[in-house]
Amino acid sequence: MKDLKTNKQAVFAGIRNAFGIPALLLFSAMTGFGSLAQEQGLSLYISMLSTVLIWGMPGQVVHVELYGLGAPLIAVALGVAGANARFMPMTLSMMPVFADSPHNRKWNYFLAHLISINTWAEMLHRGREIRADRRMAYFLGFSITCMTAGIIGVFQGYMLFESLPEIVSLCLIFLVPIYFGLIMSNTMHPPYLIAFVLGCLLGPPMHLLTPEWGLVLSGIVAGSLAFLLCNRLKNPRTTRRDNG
Amino acid sequence: MAESSAWIIFISAVFATYIWRFAGVMISHRIEANHPIFEWFTCLAYGIIASLVARTLILPSGVLAEVSLWQRLIPMAFAFFGFYLLGKRLWVGIVFGETTFISFFWLSGV
Repeated sequence: MKDLKTNKQAVFAGIRNAFGIPALLLFSAMTGFGSLAQEQGLSLYISMLSTVLIWGMPGQVVHVELYGLGAPLIAVALGVAGANARFMPMTLSMMPVFADSPHNRKWNYFLAHLISINTWAEMLHRGREIRADRRMAYFLGFSITCMTAGIIGVFQGYMLFESLPEIVSLCLIFLVPIYFGLIMSNTMHPPYLIAFVLGCLLGPPMHLLTPEWGLVLSGIVAGSLAFLLCNRLKNPRTTRRDNG
Repeated sequence: MAESSAWIIFISAVFATYIWRFAGVMISHRIEANHPIFEWFTCLAYGIIASLVARTLILPSGVLAEVSLWQRLIPMAFAFFGFYLLGKRLWVGIVFGETTFISFFWLSGV
């Protein structure tokens, strides 16, 4: 991973690492999305473009479901905003990975568009192992491969809707919580681990409370509690040392 | 008419998503890279994604809602066992989870 001498090598390293479980996951999840879109009467073009331009499953699903119900524009916009609000903290927390990279900062507005849970977790876990000036190329290779797998997934899910055996579509959909559950719980950093556990506990009841904003609310409560808990334990000591 | 309203709704959904990414980049450009806000926001992201996973498992929408709760929770537990007890290999966890899931599906006689 360290000797990525050229950007081309870095792009290929990204593509290689995306092939396998990350691309398979996008393919499976988007197959499910494609079937749903077909069912709800969205056109194939919009369904595929949705993966390219929204690039966040929960928001895409909300869009399709509310569209299928004939909900007003403002309801769709708010619903999608709620389902995809996680991109704000995710983008913010990923930007330091590119801080030492020599590219023009304006590119960050494009890189942010390629963030998904998959690519975010990859860069957070592996980003630091890659030379700072090759991270952007690696990230592009990785995320565009995932996106391509997703677009193919939407296409086949849309076309094969109903002809897939039930068990196959169930397994494809079930892959999503397994994968995210495993990669997100696999952290040694105490505040992240606590945030994960609290989020799991708060998520379902908060969803019952407010389906649109439940995810965001439970995430804010869980994440902030975890952050405060871990920093409170450290802070009193440091402040006392500063004073004395 | 129906066609164009589908596009308008879609484009508003695109903006409703991108605005969050845009805000994330904009804020990150205004603070130093080692500011504690980054850790806080990473915690928020972990919390939100965890809620999403728990919600998909416990209160799923779509086809997953057709299998019973324990048919989702036990395979998930097996995935965690496989992953954490056998050297943290992602594919092992996935194989454990999916195999249990498929066996339950067949055993329940559908």
